[in-house]
Amino acid sequence: MSNRFGLPDLGIGVGLRSVHYAHILEQAPDVGWFEIISENYMQTAGRPLRMLDQIAERYPVVMHGVSLSIGSTDPLDRDYLHELRALRDRVGARWVSDHLCWTGIAGKNSHDLLPMPYTDEALRHVAERVRAVQDFLDAPLVLENPSSYVEFADGTMKEWEFLAALAEEADCGLLLDVNNVYVSAFNHGFDAREYLSAIPYDRVVQIHVAGHTRHATHIVDTHVGPVPDSVWELLGPVHRRCGASVLLEWDTDIPPFEVVHAEALRAVDVIAQERRGAA
Amino acid sequence: MSRAPLRQVQEWFATAIMHPGSLAEGVRIAPHAERFVADGAPHALTAGPLASAMGRLAIYHHGYQARLVECLADDYPVLRDALGEDAFDALCRDYIAAHPSQSPNLNGFGRHMATFAAAHGGEHAAFASELATLEWAIVEAIHAADAETLSLDALQSVAPERWANARLLANRGVRVLRFEYPVNWYFQAMRRGENPAIPATERSVTAVYRQNYVVWRMDLTAKMVNLLESLYAGATLEQGLASVPELEADEVVVWFRDWVAAGFFSEIDIA
Repeated sequence: MSNRFGLPDLGIGVGLRSVHYAHILEQAPDVGWFEIISENYMQTAGRPLRMLDQIAERYPVVMHGVSLSIGSTDPLDRDYLHELRALRDRVGARWVSDHLCWTGIAGKNSHDLLPMPYTDEALRHVAERVRAVQDFLDAPLVLENPSSYVEFADGTMKEWEFLAALAEEADCGLLLDVNNVYVSAFNHGFDAREYLSAIPYDRVVQIHVAGHTRHATHIVDTHVGPVPDSVWELLGPVHRRCGASVLLEWDTDIPPFEVVHAEALRAVDVIAQERRGAA
Repeated sequence: MSRAPLRQVQEWFATAIMHPGSLAEGVRIAPHAERFVADGAPHALTAGPLASAMGRLAIYHHGYQARLVECLADDYPVLRDALGEDAFDALCRDYIAAHPSQSPNLNGFGRHMATFAAAHGGEHAAFASELATLEWAIVEAIHAADAETLSLDALQSVAPERWANARLLANRGVRVLRFEYPVNWYFQAMRRGENPAIPATERSVTAVYRQNYVVWRMDLTAKMVNLLESLYAGATLEQGLASVPELEADEVVVWFRDWVAAGFFSEIDIA
């Protein structure tokens, strides 16, 4: 029940947000680990980086990026990769993750996680780039399934088929966001259980849980908490199959740290209940 | 028709969702639209269980603008309140079209706002530009690298006979901003929730600096700024003091104490 990369189970973690710096440094809460948004600590030399240095001295840190743009047909941004690697080495990040998506083209960044067409061409393209990034980092890249709001008509495979094939072809890790699976299942009308049954769990290094916002015609991955029961219900079976580190993302209307941490710790009960059910 | 290359798909999709006008216009004028759009509908995309293809694409179109406007509002909270939400939103949307992000992160995205606001026009364009200058200096101070600063002890350890030819070297992290309006007064009043009217012109100078990871603002009088800028330009203490008429010794001592405490200088050169 561990991943093929030998990356550790860090337990239950919380996404590091700047409004919580003071609490974390002053109260030293008993948190398993923190995940940072990589770009928040790049192209800066000031307070954010200083806070991160202090937190990384006390807690395991994992890096989660939003601008690698692994699916873009623009060339890989070598300056970005150099900065990413330098940050990884600076804070001793246990692994580096980003999303199966593209964020822009022709040098323009939308700062959104844009959907890929799931075609053979896209699979070959992304796999080649993942391998290049892994060579550069000298470590497995961990890719997250994004939430999406539209699909391409000429796609030839389902997202879960693409993800599994990519992980195999590029030999990369996976960050399985069960909230994103729930959101995309609603938006595209597929069965989340079918998605989750196709995941190569020996490649799952990390799991995300988060909240979302329901609209009349779709659900948006807003990371607003608390996590709905419908998402917690997906965590148990997924964790039973991979035993990966679990992290709560909370990015909208962020409450005090104790509230976020308590919500993250609900994962402990979910996992224990799943184990009891399986016994 | 054969499947469109990934490059073409991305060029069309990105141009459509980043289009500053309507999405309907964006999908039509984006590159390769003839491959992806028919009768105004994006047939390259599928409808969802509850939403049309265009409705689904609109989530990305809306999200692009909203995300970047939110970023600019984070950088320019007082400018937003000064202009009002609608005017600020319009300014930001034009800014986003003129200066799309070309960086992996958003730390520097708003750096052109002062220049852009001045050229954008409107009744308060000149004031808005200066307010943006102040707020951007605060952003830059947050992200600036730590700088070595001269301590009061180090300053006081210099023998009196060496003072005249000593040079106080600038801490490059300190920004001295000259304004035509009382910008810092307005900024402070807005932060206190007083919501004053946009002020009339009245020259002011404000230094923005960071100490212990907290950003501070200090107003400077005309005499203060003349002396400080003279020193920053490389004048010796004797030259700097001589360049400012009618200085009182007592007031200068207080200034230097405050400036050194605030970290305005990196070191003293007594060579």
